[in-house]
Amino acid sequence: MSSNLCYANTETPTPGQAWCQLSDNEKLALVNSTVTAKMTCVNKTLVAVEAKLDGQVIVRLLEPVNADKRGTLLLDLEAFLKESIDPGLVVWLEPFGDRSSLRNLRGIEVKS
Amino acid sequence: MSAAVQTREGALILDSHKLSYHTDRVDAWEAGERIAPVSVDMSLTRACGAMCSFCYAMMQESQARSSIKISNALNLLDDFAAIGIRSVSLVSDGESTLSNAYVPFIQHAAELGIDVGNATNAWEWEPEKIEQVLSHLTWVRFTVAAGRPESYASIMYKGPEHTEVFDRAIKHIKYAVDLKKRNNLSVTLGIQMVLMPNLKDEIIPFAQLGLDLGVDYAVIKHCSDDEQHTLGIDYNQYESLHDLLVQAESMSNEQTKIIVKWNKIKDGDKPSYKRFYGPQFLLQISGSGLVAPSGMFFNARYSKLHIGNFTEERFIDIWKSERYWRAMNYLASPAFDAQTMMGTLPIQHYVSVALDNHAKGIQRILPCTGQRPMHVNFL
Repeated sequence: MSSNLCYANTETPTPGQAWCQLSDNEKLALVNSTVTAKMTCVNKTLVAVEAKLDGQVIVRLLEPVNADKRGTLLLDLEAFLKESIDPGLVVWLEPFGDRSSLRNLRGIEVKS
Repeated sequence: MSAAVQTREGALILDSHKLSYHTDRVDAWEAGERIAPVSVDMSLTRACGAMCSFCYAMMQESQARSSIKISNALNLLDDFAAIGIRSVSLVSDGESTLSNAYVPFIQHAAELGIDVGNATNAWEWEPEKIEQVLSHLTWVRFTVAAGRPESYASIMYKGPEHTEVFDRAIKHIKYAVDLKKRNNLSVTLGIQMVLMPNLKDEIIPFAQLGLDLGVDYAVIKHCSDDEQHTLGIDYNQYESLHDLLVQAESMSNEQTKIIVKWNKIKDGDKPSYKRFYGPQFLLQISGSGLVAPSGMFFNARYSKLHIGNFTEERFIDIWKSERYWRAMNYLASPAFDAQTMMGTLPIQHYVSVALDNHAKGIQRILPCTGQRPMHVNFL
C-alpha cells in the first residue's frame, strides 16, 4: 500500500487548548502577526480576515492570483500556520457568490 | 455494490460504481503511481439559461470565468487521449449545449475513442444539434425537475406561468427518443429528478412522465448541499419519502425503468470516508476552465485546491505538474476531512466509498467477472 493510503483511518488534527483559549480577535492577530514576521513573501498578497475556534482561518487575496499559483500559495500558507501556530489550523479563502443574474433571483447567498 | 438495473439494452448501474472494470488503475493507485483519471466530468461553459432551485452551480463560482474556445476544447480531448482518460461526462457546472464547442467536442471525442455522456435541460438542444451528436453519445440524461409543467417551470425557471420551458424540453426529448428508435442508436436516454425533500408531490408525476416519454430510465436522486448548508437540505426528511419512492420504482415497465439512488439518499450528509480518494479516478473541470479535484472545490473558498486553467495551459502539463499531485495528496492526507470540509454527496461519492473501503481493507475492489454492464467507462 502506498504511503498516501495509510491515513484512511487517521483523525484530522483539531486545534489545541492554547488556540481555543484565545479570543477571536487574538486568534486573528496571532495569525497575521506570525505571517508578517515569518512569511514575508505573502504579506502583500493576502491577509487573514477571520480566525475561528474550530481552526478555520479565512483569508482574503489582496491582488488577483492565477489558478496555477493560488493553490500552491495557500497550501504553503496552511502548512506554515500548522507548523508555526497549531496543527489544527485550516486555510480557506473568502467565498464568491454566484455571478448568474438569473439564478440570483432565487435569493440564495453562499455562506462563509 | 448494489445490483444493476436490467434494461432492454443491458445492465445499468446508476447507484454504485464501476471501478471493478478498471482494476488496472486501482492497482496502480494502490502502488502509489500517478494515475490518469478514468473519467472526467466537465462543462464547456458556466452559463445556463435555467435557474434550478437545487443547482449546486450556485456555490461553484471561482475567481474568473474563462471562455472555452473550440481549440481549447479539442486540445483538451487530445490530452485526455494521450494520458488514457476513457470517458467524459458533460455535466459539471454549466449547460454545455450552449457552447460553440459542444458539437465539435463530441465529434472529436468519438474520433479519439473517448466515450461521452451529457446532462442537459434540453432547452437549446434543438433537432439540428441532436442530429449531429446523438450517434456519438453513450448516454444523455435530461434534467427534468418535475413531471407537471407548472411545477417544472417553478423549480427550473421563473414561475409556474412559464410552462413554455417544459414544452420546449419535452419536444426535444421526444425528438431524441424518436431518432434513437429510427436509427437504432445505442445511446441511453434518461430523465433525472433532483429530489429536494419538499418536492414529494412531484415524485409520482415525474415517474409517469418518464413512462410517457418512453425514455430508458427515469432516475430520482438526492440533492447535494455544501458544508455551510447554503441550500438548507435536511437529509433526515428523505426518510419520510421512502414509500413514495418505492411506489415510483414499482411503476417501471419493459421500456422505462424508474430508479432511485437509494445509496446516496441513505448516505446523506454522513459519508463513511474522511480521505477523498475519488478525484484521482474521476476528475472534475469547471465550465470556467478551472481544473480542481472536484466540483466541490470550484468556489474561490477552496482556492488552495485550485490547480490550473486549461484555457491558459495545456491540460497534460497541468496533470503532470507537482501542483496536481500536491492537491490530490492533500485530499488523501489527515489534513483533509471529507466529513466536515466539503459539501455532501459529490459526483465522486460512490467511488470514494469504494476506494476508502479498499484502503481500509473492509472490501477490496476486485475485477468483475460477470455480465458486463453498460457505460463501464463512466465510474
